[in-house]
Amino acid sequence: MLKNLPMQCIDINSPYCPCLLSETNHCTFCSHLKGEATCDCNWSGVCILYEKQWQKNKWDNDNDIDTPLRLEAETKFSRKEQISKDTYLLAMEVNSDFAQSLEKSGSFVFLRRPTDQQFYHFPVGVMKVTGNIIHVVVETIGPKSTRLLADNNNQVLVRGPYYNGIFGQPWIDNIDNGKILLIVGGIGQAPAISIARQLVKKNNNITAIVAPGKIGHIFIAEELTELGVSVQEVASMRQAGMRYLSASLANTQECPELIISAGPDDQHYGIIAAMHTAGVNIPMAATNNTTMCCGEGICGSCQKVTKDNKRVRTCKVQTDFRHFIQE
Amino acid sequence: MIKVVVVGGGWAGCAAALSAAKAGAQVILLERTDLLLGTGLVGGIFRNNGRFTAAEEAIAMGGGDLFVAMDANTKHRGIHFPGHSHASFYDVTTMEPLVKKILQNYGIEIKTRSRVSGVTKYGKKIQHLTFDNEEIVTGDAFVDTTGTTGPMGNCLKYGNGCAMCILRCPTFGPRVSLTAKADVKEVMGKKADGSYGAMSGSCKINKDSLSSELKNQLEKEGMVVIPLPENLKKSGMLGKKACSQYAIADYAENIVLIDTGHAKLMTPFFPLDMLRTIPGLERARYEDPYSGGVGNSIRYLGIAPCDNSLKVESIDNLFCAGEKSGILVGHTEAVVTGLLAGHNAVRYCLDMKYLELPTELASGDFIQFIHKQMATEEGIKLRYTFSGSIYFDRMKDLGLYSAQRGEIIERIRKTGLTDVYNTCLV
Repeated sequence: MLKNLPMQCIDINSPYCPCLLSETNHCTFCSHLKGEATCDCNWSGVCILYEKQWQKNKWDNDNDIDTPLRLEAETKFSRKEQISKDTYLLAMEVNSDFAQSLEKSGSFVFLRRPTDQQFYHFPVGVMKVTGNIIHVVVETIGPKSTRLLADNNNQVLVRGPYYNGIFGQPWIDNIDNGKILLIVGGIGQAPAISIARQLVKKNNNITAIVAPGKIGHIFIAEELTELGVSVQEVASMRQAGMRYLSASLANTQECPELIISAGPDDQHYGIIAAMHTAGVNIPMAATNNTTMCCGEGICGSCQKVTKDNKRVRTCKVQTDFRHFIQE
Repeated sequence: MIKVVVVGGGWAGCAAALSAAKAGAQVILLERTDLLLGTGLVGGIFRNNGRFTAAEEAIAMGGGDLFVAMDANTKHRGIHFPGHSHASFYDVTTMEPLVKKILQNYGIEIKTRSRVSGVTKYGKKIQHLTFDNEEIVTGDAFVDTTGTTGPMGNCLKYGNGCAMCILRCPTFGPRVSLTAKADVKEVMGKKADGSYGAMSGSCKINKDSLSSELKNQLEKEGMVVIPLPENLKKSGMLGKKACSQYAIADYAENIVLIDTGHAKLMTPFFPLDMLRTIPGLERARYEDPYSGGVGNSIRYLGIAPCDNSLKVESIDNLFCAGEKSGILVGHTEAVVTGLLAGHNAVRYCLDMKYLELPTELASGDFIQFIHKQMATEEGIKLRYTFSGSIYFDRMKDLGLYSAQRGEIIERIRKTGLTDVYNTCLV
């Protein structure tokens, strides 16, 4: 497994590449589509300039501003279960193509009321897909998420698929028969399910430390156990969770090959600090908690700065979370 | 022990590795694909016109191993074809293992499928190179023989797209220029119309796909000239060619086929349906590039600025050769520059004065002339080769052209460079 993750766009080799960024020479990957004279990409197996050549009419026919760039489904909540005070488990049925496109870990969708303005939509990580039903968990704390569930609303507009929900996704995709430590806090429980479901398929040995976090409730322990994950429930990640982590990092027998942090950024930083203290450098995948508005790399709300002063549009671009400057 | 790392296993890289090893260095030769020789895998023509002189100069200077190998693996020699005299054609289908063996006999470590994608510099020196798989390779001096051709994005932007050629970019990953990764701004060759790059000049047809009469004639005589039907003459194609020695009217009015193991067709591309209207070629299909009916690879998109010792500007321990060192065409040219670059890489490590080939020699004048020409707006649109066009004319004008082995050996003796490449410096 590679230790260093090259910066790469998650949409490469998907139907959503080349994207609108290539139209204005802002592609995050292809040097030609950044306006340079010759090739200088971090080769990923496909030539985006070529893709652009073959799909040159992609945007021309879509002049209508209301035509969605990705898939959209107007549907109803088939399940709405309150997990804790502001936390809801939601399920909704979409068509099979849409549902299938969200099966990979790291997938997320944007949700809003169908009758609301576009800017009400907000990103939500997909917890799992069963048949044509997608399951997500929403915390109703901001204006957009609160609005979605206010007045007992049941109508929802789902837009997707988006894929960059986890920094370090290639590590998750490429590990097999590995020893993995999954650290889960609060709302991170939802993406943890999709991560675990993907990892068990490749015969990985997963240990999960799960803390209730801000939402105050652990709701995935049983499901993880059913998947064959060995689950450690802790009351507080900061205390018991980090102690457990430090112990397993110090023990070379137990030390995992890959750490996955599903939870808030503070949790990611806590793990980095623990690795630092233990003097180990293990690949770490981390959920992407950035605020996003458009999801297409255009608006810039998800931009983060790396330690080598590169600006990364995190709705699309993969990199190692540890490269970001701590905010 | 001095360690020289050569990146790019084409003819230039093989020659650089060879001369560095002969000069006493430990040499590692890195190649992105699974075969050495690069575009030389579809080359074949040597000793034609002034290339004879250049080859004999290299042999007299003690760097002849590769030419001797080509001679030994030659199917046809002393061939005359339009515009060219005393040509030899090596067999492209059997050349590579032979060269590999020669290099290995010199103790050169050859690593194929080793694509260098990163360079770490300290000040003006390269410290180490990084492979795709994050392994690193250190060295005292480095030679950039990564070429200037492709990859697909460039072939698309400056040509007719990827023609699926012997470089096999999608499989092994595109070429990465050491020079560019070391933050040196590269030079690009131009076409006559001012746009960048130039198209490779020949396609290879599968010999078994020719009619048996044509195939027999080709194998017997080494080359066949077939007049083009009137409707297929297309002189407009010539300006795009890399190989200006074939950009003459004969090649616009005739199909010229050469037996290099494949049937080498001396044109950058030729639409297959039109090709198949020519008698004897009714069943023709391409060997390289696979889409030879549509286009060919684009070259000269990343030439390293260098001096006449072939040291890359502004990096102390980086040398270059082949297309990387100037707008030159052909593997004789690649070998001649490769020998010099590899040799000078060793001289760098020993703090010796760099070797520059004197202008009394064709190879010395060639390097200096190209570098002078590349500084001019007109010169950057031309291609340079010992075998034709502007530089062969110059060779003849200056009396540098000779097809007499004895005369060339004497010339080398006068410059004091006899067996210079055979001398262990360490």
